[in-house]
Formats: sequence, structure tokens, C-alpha cells
Amino acid sequence: MEKKSLNDSQNFSFILTKKIIQMNDVWTSYDSKSYALEGVNLSIDRGTNYAIVGQSGSGKSTLLKLLNGMMVSSKGTIKVDYLTPNTNDKKFKKMMHTIGYIPQNLGLIKNSTVLQNVLIGALPRLNKIQSLFNKFPEDEINEAKKIISQVGLKGKENRKAYMLSGGEKRRVAIARALMQKPHILLADEIVSELDHVTSREIMDLVADAQKRMNLTAVMVHHDMQLALEYANRVAVIKEGNKILEIGVEGDTIVDFQTGDMTTDEIMEMYSSESKK
Amino acid sequence: MNQKNNLIIGVIIALLVVASYNVDANPIEFVEGLPNLGIVAEELVQVDPKYVPTALWAMFETIQMAFIGTVVGVAISLPLSLFAARNLNSKFVYAPMRAILAAIRTFPSILWAILFVIMVGLGPFAGVLAIIMYTIGFVAKLQYESIETIDSDPVDAVSSIGVSKWQLIRYVVIPESAPHLLSQFLYMFDYNVRQTSILGLVGAGGIGFYIINYIKFFEYGKAAIFMIVVLITVLAIDWASVKIRDKYIIKSQHGQEVSIKTKSK
Repeated sequence: MEKKSLNDSQNFSFILTKKIIQMNDVWTSYDSKSYALEGVNLSIDRGTNYAIVGQSGSGKSTLLKLLNGMMVSSKGTIKVDYLTPNTNDKKFKKMMHTIGYIPQNLGLIKNSTVLQNVLIGALPRLNKIQSLFNKFPEDEINEAKKIISQVGLKGKENRKAYMLSGGEKRRVAIARALMQKPHILLADEIVSELDHVTSREIMDLVADAQKRMNLTAVMVHHDMQLALEYANRVAVIKEGNKILEIGVEGDTIVDFQTGDMTTDEIMEMYSSESKK
Repeated sequence: MNQKNNLIIGVIIALLVVASYNVDANPIEFVEGLPNLGIVAEELVQVDPKYVPTALWAMFETIQMAFIGTVVGVAISLPLSLFAARNLNSKFVYAPMRAILAAIRTFPSILWAILFVIMVGLGPFAGVLAIIMYTIGFVAKLQYESIETIDSDPVDAVSSIGVSKWQLIRYVVIPESAPHLLSQFLYMFDYNVRQTSILGLVGAGGIGFYIINYIKFFEYGKAAIFMIVVLITVLAIDWASVKIRDKYIIKSQHGQEVSIKTKSK
């Protein structure tokens, strides 16, 4: 039932438009005094690897949380696959099952094993009573083991999460999200604390899964270089505003926001912004 | 400032003197009474060694009572603590639950024991019930406090998948607060052995029953043997629970430390 409606909406949207995420003039605030986002417009195509770059406190994590309903906007409209993110809405709650979300601190269960952490991604598909007794169907367990070996953790299924290294923890969080059989993957600065080599490994892993499963990935980054390396599109957020939206086409960086900036101008603007 | 301090110290001393007079607390009597301990020691060496096995058996009964009380008490307190945690329930659920738990905690275990002696009669069962009640009040509080302080990241991450509340409790809340539970269990068992040792004073079984009766009949030597057994047992359990805690709980706390470190980088 759930699967059918999801497929229906996907087919429907392919006919009409390929936009999967749309934000129109979105404002949010944590308190009455200041806004975290100030009128952001965003539109993301299905199957894109989309990056959001900005300094800390620019509002980029907030933007991500708006997309899976963990936060609500105070003004403006947000549509994720034609639904407004709202955890009280039954339709959206069902869709949440297929939105993978990896928070900045990953949110792994420290005292549970790698396998148990990954199986959590399957919970929404399970019979509620069955799941309370930790009874996972054999095929879900096999699926989890398959994903664990895909993310390079074969043989570590029974290791407790707290015993893993930083890179391995990220692999578990990615595996948990993939276990959801997601159509959208949201990830919040998941490689920002890693060394150069490990962060590329993790990004390769996500990029690979994104292509294989035709996911729409929205990833928040601190590092512009990394974002340009992996994403089709990069939005730059500053103080709650989207100041730039760029993409790489061949050797050049194209300005999608205003359409009239050259690669050099964009890089100059970004490097001066990041120095501030 | 200094004058104010002097005044406070003066008031405290004055209150101490007045209170001591009221309760008849006389340091001279204490010093004069010290040689009486000699009588106990003298009687102790004269006691027939055949009482030692009785004392050990009584202690064993006490430990069993404490064990049942702790296991059953912790088992009951777990679900109650889930309803008392602020981060899992609405005010209308947690507020009454907390009120009930606070009411249970108001009674010290010896008062519960008196109540249960009236209900089910003299003997260890009344003591077990008293320990259960005390454990519920105490562990449920410790447990809901540790549930309220669990890391919000896993809760956010897993609830964003759209799981049910009970799945969230089963797969996030309980595993995240489990290391505290083992430590609370050990602490409570340790504490309950000491408590159960005195419940016999009101006829609720255990080694205290022997102690109070020997004292009533001025058999201080025999009472002392039983008290020494209590002392040694409590020390042994204390030592063992420290060992277990070191082995199993420090490990998982180390895990917490690691994750905190990566966060703050």
C-alpha cells in the first residue's frame, strides 16, 4: 500500500516536473528576535547530488531539518515530493520512512552493535509488535548485512558502535540510512571532522549509493572544494540567505543564481566570503 | 564579612548546644560508656562457635531477601520510569507518575516493613515486600533521570525515520540508558543488603531479627557475632560490586567519552 502510493507520486511527478524539493521564500526562527533563514528559495531536481555550503551558524543545518519535518518554517512554502514536511501529517510521516537523515553527530546507538544500528533503518517496514521483541525477518537481516559489507564494514557486524573509529561510525550511519531504502538522503556535515583521505572515502561511498539507487542527496558541507568535487549543484548560504548557486559543467563553474558571473568571479566571491 | 561569618558560626554553636540539651546528648556519657564496649568484646570471645553457622545462614537469608527485592523492584521500576520521563510523555502522564513515585519514596524501608508485617504477618516476606517498594521509589527516580539525560542525537536521528514511540524506546532509549541500569542495580543491591539487615528489627525477617532479640536479652556477645557477619558481608559485596562496575561499566563510559571527544573537535 505504502509502496504503491510512493511509486504513484514518483510517476506523477516525472510527468509534471522533475523537481523533488522546492522552497519558496522560507523563513525560520529559533526565537522571536532573529531569523535562522531569511527568505530562502531553492529547487532541487530528482536524482541530484546537491550540496549546501556555508559557515557555522549560517542556517544550513536548519535548512536540512526543514526538509524532513524536524523543524517547521515560520513563513513560506516547502514541498518535498508534493508534500509539506510536517511530522503530524500521516502522509508525510509515511514518506519520512524513505528520507534518510544523518545528523552532524550521526546519532548512533553507542551500546548497540553495528548490525542493530543498521537494522533500525528497517523499523518502519516492520510489524510493530514483532519489532518490539527484536524479531527482524531473515531477509531484512540479510539486507542489512549486504549493506554493511557495501559500506566496507564486513566482519564488524557485531562490534559495538562506541568501539568504532570516526570513519567507521560514519559508514554505519550511512548504512542505516540506506537500510531505509531511501529516495532522499539528507546528510549534515558528515565528513567535516575527518582527514582528507577518509572524508573522500566516505564521500565516494555516498556518491556511489546516490548513483546506484538514483537518490536525491542533499548534503551540508563546510568545505567548498569538497562540495564542488562531488555535487552537481552547490548552494552557498550566508546568514540565512542563499547568496550563490553554482554547478560544475566541464571545466567551468556556472552561476545558476544570476547567470552572469564567471568562474573566477564566483571563486573570488566565495574565497572573500569565507575569509570574513 | 568576617563579622557575619562569626555570627553564623555563633548561631550554629548555640543551636547545637540547645539541641544537644533537648535530646540529652552528653559527650561525657559517651566517654564514660566506652568501657562498656569491653564487656561486648569479653562476651564475644566467650560465645560458643556453634552460633557462627546460624549467623551465616541468617545472613544468607538476608542476601536472598535483598536479591529478590532488588530484582523485582528494578523490574517494576523500569516501565514506571518510562512513564515518568519528561522527554517521552505529556505532562498528564509524567506528573501523576512522579507524584506516586515521590509518595513511595517518602516512606523509609523500615516503615514499609511495619506496614507489610501488618498485612502479611511476621517473617521475611514482609521484608521482601518492603525492599521492593523502596527499590521502586528509588530506582524509578534514578532511571527516569538517566532517561531524561540521554543524548538527543540518536533520538532525533531515529525519530526522523518515522518510527513509533515504542520502537524509539525499545531501540534508542533503553539501550542508551542501559549502562546506568546495571550500575543502579549493583548500587541498589548493595544498599538493600544493608537495609534488609535491619528490617528484622520490626519482625520482617533477616539477620536483624536475631540481633534485636539478642540485644533484648542482653546477650551482647551473640549480637556482636551477627553484627560482625553483617559487616564482613557488606564489605565483600561492596568490593565485588566495585569490581563488576569497573569491568563492565567503565568500558561503556569510555565509549561515551570517545563519542564526546569526536563531537567537540
